[in-house]
Amino acid sequence: MAATFFGEVVRAPCRAGTEDEEEEEEARETSEDTEVRRQLAQKREVQLLRRQTETTLDGSLLENHPCSKFIIAIGNNAVAFLSSFVMNSGGWEEVGCTKLWNEWCRAADSLHLCPTDALCVFYQLKSDPSVFGSSPRKNMQITILTCRHVTDYKTSESTGSLPTPFLRALKTQHFKDSACCSLLEQPNIAHGLPAAVLSYCQVWKIPAVLYLCYTDVMKPDIVTIEAFKPILSSMSFKDLVTAVPRRSEILKKLTSSETQSNIYT
Amino acid sequence: MASRYDRAITVFSPDGHLFQVEYAQEAVKKGSTAVGIRGTNIVVLGVEKKSVAKLQDERTVRKICALDDHVCMAFAGLTADARVVINRARVECQSHKLTVEDPVTVEYITRFIATLKQKYTQSNGRRPFGISALIVGFDDDGIPRLYQTDPSGTYHAWKANAIGRSAKTVREFLEKNYTEDAIANDNEAIKLAIRALLEVVQSGGKNIELAIIRRNQPLKMFSAKEIEFQVTEIEKEKEEAEKKKTKKNI
Repeated sequence: MAATFFGEVVRAPCRAGTEDEEEEEEARETSEDTEVRRQLAQKREVQLLRRQTETTLDGSLLENHPCSKFIIAIGNNAVAFLSSFVMNSGGWEEVGCTKLWNEWCRAADSLHLCPTDALCVFYQLKSDPSVFGSSPRKNMQITILTCRHVTDYKTSESTGSLPTPFLRALKTQHFKDSACCSLLEQPNIAHGLPAAVLSYCQVWKIPAVLYLCYTDVMKPDIVTIEAFKPILSSMSFKDLVTAVPRRSEILKKLTSSETQSNIYT
Repeated sequence: MASRYDRAITVFSPDGHLFQVEYAQEAVKKGSTAVGIRGTNIVVLGVEKKSVAKLQDERTVRKICALDDHVCMAFAGLTADARVVINRARVECQSHKLTVEDPVTVEYITRFIATLKQKYTQSNGRRPFGISALIVGFDDDGIPRLYQTDPSGTYHAWKANAIGRSAKTVREFLEKNYTEDAIANDNEAIKLAIRALLEVVQSGGKNIELAIIRRNQPLKMFSAKEIEFQVTEIEKEKEEAEKKKTKKNI
C-alpha cells in the first residue's frame, strides 16, 4: 500500500511474487462467474453460415471445398479490387460466410451484427473449382491483399515525396514464384490479420505472399484500387481475369457507406 | 524519432523537420480534391463536392468562396480552419480597398494568407491551419493568376495545380494534358478542369462543382446542368477518340 501526492491510498505493485490475498480472491469465484465466462466464450465462437439462409455450415469449409489458390482481401480497397477485377470476370459462387463477435464490437452479439461489422464471405469459382477445388491442401497457394496508410511506411525519404499509392510484397519461405513488386524493406513490418495469416503459412510451410498497398486514402478510392493492378500478371491471377474493367465501371461500384463528417471539406 | 519531436509546433527535430506542419499536410489530404487552371483569358476552379446529408442545406457546404469581386479561392482540409482564413482574407480585401483605394492584387492577398499561416507555425500554444488553398483571379493589368498555399505558409504561382485527396494523380494528369492548345480558348480550359477531376471523382459529373472568372467579369458558378452538359461533351469526345484508335489499329 502506498500514499500518493494527493492523499489517496493506492495498491503498490508487489515484486515479491503472488501475494496471499490473490489466492483468496480466486477461491471466491462463484459458479455465476464460470457461467458468465462460458457464455462469453460461446458468443466469441466463430460461426460458419450460408449468408442467405443463415443456416450453419457443417464441417470445415476447406474440407468441403479444398482449394489450390486461396485469395484473401482485407480492407475496403483490397476487397473492391478483387470484386472489380477478379470477380467481375467469371462466375463466382458464394459458399459461405463467417461472423465474428468480440467485446470491441458495438453490437450485443453476432446475431445483430450489421454487414459492415466483422464479416468474411467465401467465394468459389464455378468454372474452375480447383480455385477452391479438388487438389490436396499441400499444393495450396495463398495470396493476401491489404492496404495500409503511407505514414506507417518507415523510410529515410519524407512521405510527401513517395509515389503513393505503391505496392510492396512479403512472402513465406516456400513461395517460389517471384513477387509482382519489390519486397517490403526493413524496418517495415506487416500488422494484424495479414501478418497472422502470413505467420501461420510460414509455420505450416504453405506458400503465401502478402501484397501490401501503401496509400494516403484509406476510404474506397479508385487510384488505390488500380495500384493493385500489377498483381494481375502473377501466376495466381493470370487465369482468373478475362477482362479488365473500365474506370467508369469501377467507380460506379464504389459506394461510401461511412457516416457524414463535416470536419474535412 | 518522430514521436519525441512532434508534440509541439515550435520544436524542430534533429534532422530539421517540423512534424506538426507535415502532419497538417496530411489533414489537407483528407479533404476532397480541388483543381485550379490558369487559361489565357479565364481562370477555372473545380472541386469534388462532398456528399451532403439528407437534411443538410446544400448551399452552406461550399468549397469555392469569393474573397472579393475579382478573386476567389478553393480549399482542401479542415472546414473550420478554412472559414477563419477566408473571413480574415475578406476583411483584408476590404480594408485594403478602403485604405489604398485599389482592389487587392491576387499576389497580395495570397501573401497575406500565407503570412497568416506561417505565423501559426511559429507561435507557442497554437497549431498550423490544416488547409491548402488555390487562389485565382485577375489583376488590374488583366493577367490571370493562380496561386497555391499550404499549411507551412509557402505560396507559389502555378499554371495548373490540384490539392486534397488524390492530388498527385490529378497533377500528373495535368502535367500530361496542360498544353497551349488545351487552354487555347475558355471552353477548352473548362473541359480540362472537368477531365482532371473525372480521373478521381466517384460517380462523375454529379459530384463536381465549377467556378470561373473571365477578365473584367465577376465570379460565375456553374449550375449542375451546365456541368452535366460539359461532361456529356467530354464523354462524346472520348468515345470518338477511342473509335479513331480502333480504326487505326485495324
